[in-house]
Amino acid sequence: MQKLLAIEWLKLKNYRTFWILLLLYTVLLFLVNYKLAGTASSFNMNGLQILAKSYTFPDIWSTIAYIGSYFIIFLAILVIIITTNEYTFKTNRQNIIDGWQRVDFLHAKIGVVVTISVVATLYYFILCSIIGIVNGGAVTDLLKNTEMALYFFLLSINYLGFALVIALWIKRSGLAISLFLLYAMIIENIANLITGFKYSLFLPLQCSDELVAPSAQKMLQNMAGIGHTTPPSYYIIATVSWCVVYYTLSRIMLLRRDW
Amino acid sequence: MFGILGPNGSGKTTLLGIVLDVLVANSGSYSWFGGLPADAARKQIGALLETPNFYHYMTAMQNLEVTAAIKGRGDDDKLSVLELTGLTSRKDSKFQTYSLGMKQRLAIAAALLGNPKVLVLDEPTNGLDPAGIAEIRELILRLSNEGITVIMASHMLDEVEKVCNHVAILKRGQLLVTGQVDDVLRSEDQVEVRANDMKALQQLLTGMNGIKKVQLANNMLLLSCDAAVQPTFINEYCMNNGIILSHLLLRKKSLESKFIELTNEKK
Repeated sequence: MQKLLAIEWLKLKNYRTFWILLLLYTVLLFLVNYKLAGTASSFNMNGLQILAKSYTFPDIWSTIAYIGSYFIIFLAILVIIITTNEYTFKTNRQNIIDGWQRVDFLHAKIGVVVTISVVATLYYFILCSIIGIVNGGAVTDLLKNTEMALYFFLLSINYLGFALVIALWIKRSGLAISLFLLYAMIIENIANLITGFKYSLFLPLQCSDELVAPSAQKMLQNMAGIGHTTPPSYYIIATVSWCVVYYTLSRIMLLRRDW
Repeated sequence: MFGILGPNGSGKTTLLGIVLDVLVANSGSYSWFGGLPADAARKQIGALLETPNFYHYMTAMQNLEVTAAIKGRGDDDKLSVLELTGLTSRKDSKFQTYSLGMKQRLAIAAALLGNPKVLVLDEPTNGLDPAGIAEIRELILRLSNEGITVIMASHMLDEVEKVCNHVAILKRGQLLVTGQVDDVLRSEDQVEVRANDMKALQQLLTGMNGIKKVQLANNMLLLSCDAAVQPTFINEYCMNNGIILSHLLLRKKSLESKFIELTNEKK
C-alpha cells in the first residue's frame, strides 16, 4: 500500500488542480466557520438563541462537522477528477501495462481517498480546537465530544468512496461530477423527504450526514416531533456497510471490464 | 524479433492488449517467461500499446519517474533512454506540449526503462517523420541484436520485412500464417528462366516435380515452385534434359503481394 501511495503522490504532487481544490477546501471552510462563529451567538429565531452555543465546546465539534459535510464535496470532486484523468490520459491502461494488477489501481485510489480523509479530519480537529479556544472555550473542555472527529472521518470516506465509484463507472469527468452533485445535493434529499426521513439509514450518503447533524438541528427536530432516536452506532454500521458495497462494486467492475 | 502483421482491424492491438491484461479475452490463455505471474512478468516487459499514454500535466522526466516506480526498476535510466530517443533537450517540458512524434518517442523511451527482457511495440513508428522512422527502426534492430526479444505489431509490410525474423499474419482475428520471415517469403518465390527453345523449355518444366505453375511472360518463363525447389535443381534438371538455360533468376515475391494474396484468400 505504501508503494502504491508513493506512486499516487508522484502523480498528484505536480498537479495544480489538486492543490487548488485542497486550498479552496481549507480556506473556505475556515472563512465560513470564522464568519459564522462571529454571528452565531447573536442569531436568534423567535427569541430562541438556538445557535448560541454552536461555536463553543462541545457543540463546535458537530457544528463544524456539519458545515464540513458540505465542503467535503470539493474533495469528492477532486477524487472524481484525479480518477477520470487516468481514463482521459489512458494512464490507467499504462499503469497495468507497466506492471500493476488491476486491483492495484483500485487500491491506490482508495489509498488516496483514505489519506485525503485523514488530512481533512486532522484539519477539522485543528480548526475546531482553534475556533473553540478563541471563542473562549476552556482547554479542559476540548476533548469532550471528540467522537465527532471519527464521525467526520467516516463521512469523508463515505463521500469520497461514493465519488470514486461514480468516477470509475462513468470514466468521464464532466458527467461523473454532474451525476455526483445531482445525487448528493438533490436526489438523495428528495428521497429522504418523501420517505419521511425514516429510511436515511439506507441512503448511501445520508447515513453519514445523520452522524454529523448539528445539535441545533437535533433540538429543532425533537421539538417538531420528527426526531428519531436511532443511535449513532447504527449510522456507523450503515456507513461502513456502504463503503464495503463501494469496494465490492468497484472491484467487480474493474476486474471484468476492458481497460 | 517477432512481427505481427495484419490489415487495420485484424486484431493486432487486441492480441497485444490481451497478453498485457488490458483487455479481457473471451477464451484462451497465455503465459510469459514460462509461467511467471502476469503482473511480475509485465514489470520485465517494456510495452507501447496503441497510443502514448502519459500524464499531460507532467514533464517527460516526471512521467518516466512514475513508470519506473510502477516497474520497480529503471529509475537511473531516465536520462539515458531520453538520450536514446532524442528527447534530452525537452526532458523538462510538459507532455502536453509535445508533438505527436515526440509523444511516440517518449512512449518508446518509457518502454526501454530498466532494460526489459521483452519489448512489445504496437506500431512503434506511428506519427514519426521519415528520419524518425529510420532512427527508431535502427534502435529496435540494435536492441534486438543485443538480445532483447521484440514483439512488434505493424500494418506496414516493409517495416516487418526489414526488421523482423519471425512473422505472424492476422486477418479478422484469425492467424493466417506464421513462421520465419524468409520461409513465409520463400514459399512464394518465383523463378525466371529463359532458353533458346522456349517451347521445349515450357514443356519440360511443366512436367517437373515441385513446380506449381508455369507462365510465359515477356519471352520469359515465370515459375511458381514449392519451397524445396531451388534454382540449382531447375538448372540441373534442364541440363540433364538437354536444355541450356540462358537466364535463371530467383525472384523473391515481396511481402506485400504475399500479404495481399493471403488476406484476400480467405474472404
